[in-house]
Amino acid sequence: MKLGAHPELDALCGEYLVGTMRGAARRRFERALAQESAVARRLQYWEQVAAVNYSERFFVAPSAAVWKRIQRDLALRRFSPPWYSRIELWRIWAVSASLALILMLAWPYLNRPAPVTYLTVAVMQGKAPDAQVTVELSGDRRTLRLRPARPVLASASQSFELWLIPAGGAAPQSLGVLGALDSEIRLSPELGIRLAPGAKLAVSVEPAGGSPTGGPTGPVIVIGDVRT
Amino acid sequence: MLDDREVRRLLLATAARDTAAFEALYRKTAPLLLAVALRIVGGRELAEDVLHDAFLKIWHAAERFDPMAPRPVSWMVAIVRNRAIDVISSADRTRVVPLVEDAEDTIENALEAELPSDEAVDTHRRAAWVRACLEHLDAPQRQALVLAYHHGLSHGELAAHLHKPLGTVKGWVRRALQNMRTCVESCLGQAG
Repeated sequence: MKLGAHPELDALCGEYLVGTMRGAARRRFERALAQESAVARRLQYWEQVAAVNYSERFFVAPSAAVWKRIQRDLALRRFSPPWYSRIELWRIWAVSASLALILMLAWPYLNRPAPVTYLTVAVMQGKAPDAQVTVELSGDRRTLRLRPARPVLASASQSFELWLIPAGGAAPQSLGVLGALDSEIRLSPELGIRLAPGAKLAVSVEPAGGSPTGGPTGPVIVIGDVRT
Repeated sequence: MLDDREVRRLLLATAARDTAAFEALYRKTAPLLLAVALRIVGGRELAEDVLHDAFLKIWHAAERFDPMAPRPVSWMVAIVRNRAIDVISSADRTRVVPLVEDAEDTIENALEAELPSDEAVDTHRRAAWVRACLEHLDAPQRQALVLAYHHGLSHGELAAHLHKPLGTVKGWVRRALQNMRTCVESCLGQAG
């Protein structure tokens, strides 16, 4: 006989709810609950009727270990979203990526060096009227730029060498070996300082690779006074 | 007092495998559910085992929770009670069986006495009927019913503790249930 049609169904629900139904009878009732919707509905009705509001005075706080055990036994961590699907993470990533992109695009503007100013410190002159080389020094006194009136290249067997002739007749000092007159030379800080009024600048023609002696050996093609 | 709508929301989110909601559900309901288990099994350690087992069941069965049920927490209470009854009836455990006098105290302490919020009027009214109907029962019937319901006493244990023959105690429980049913249904009828 199905329990759903049992004349004592209400009494059975009551005994089940109250808990006095035990053992095999209880298991049989639970099977009927799973199989017969009429039994489940009737029990639910009584559950709702008998539901009481428990006073908070009645409550008992469980120890912290219970929740830890539940978490562990259900392996709840595997249900939390993996790191790569967490929305905050993506948000942080997106903001960082945008910032990085903005920085990358703006960097040349942010970091553009101040335009280098050059000052003409000498005009070297040769014998011919157009044999003229303007010498400019950068504001930081580290770069010397030669601007010939016309391009002049050294031949394959020769080099040009730029000399600093200090005031007072000391030995000329090489500033650099050049393949062409139109060139830039990096100066050491010390040489930058010595490039002062009273000194002269000159270019001589030397064997390829520069003077073998450390002083000018070939003809000087242009020379001029340092003005500032 | 537990907010039915909040418990329902958390149960439905638990069914959708929302672990944060499940934890919030635990924090909210565990103190009540532990009290229910404690009354039945008698010892704290065993009651916490029942609570643990019940929450494993709640996690797995949440998808079968009926969202239309007016008191979602009673679904959880039923799971705890069933587990507690299984535990005490499956083993020869020595447990602290409450004093007979405790039945009246249990009614006093367990049932909500606060004024209800508006949305809880219906459930509060029903709880008031249950309480009133319990008070209408004869004292022995009431004792038997409350001891069985709140403390999980079996017929045999009731007989031993009330010093009455088994048949008499069974009769009390049965008649108490019938009277409660008649009383509550007449209240429901009046309300309808």
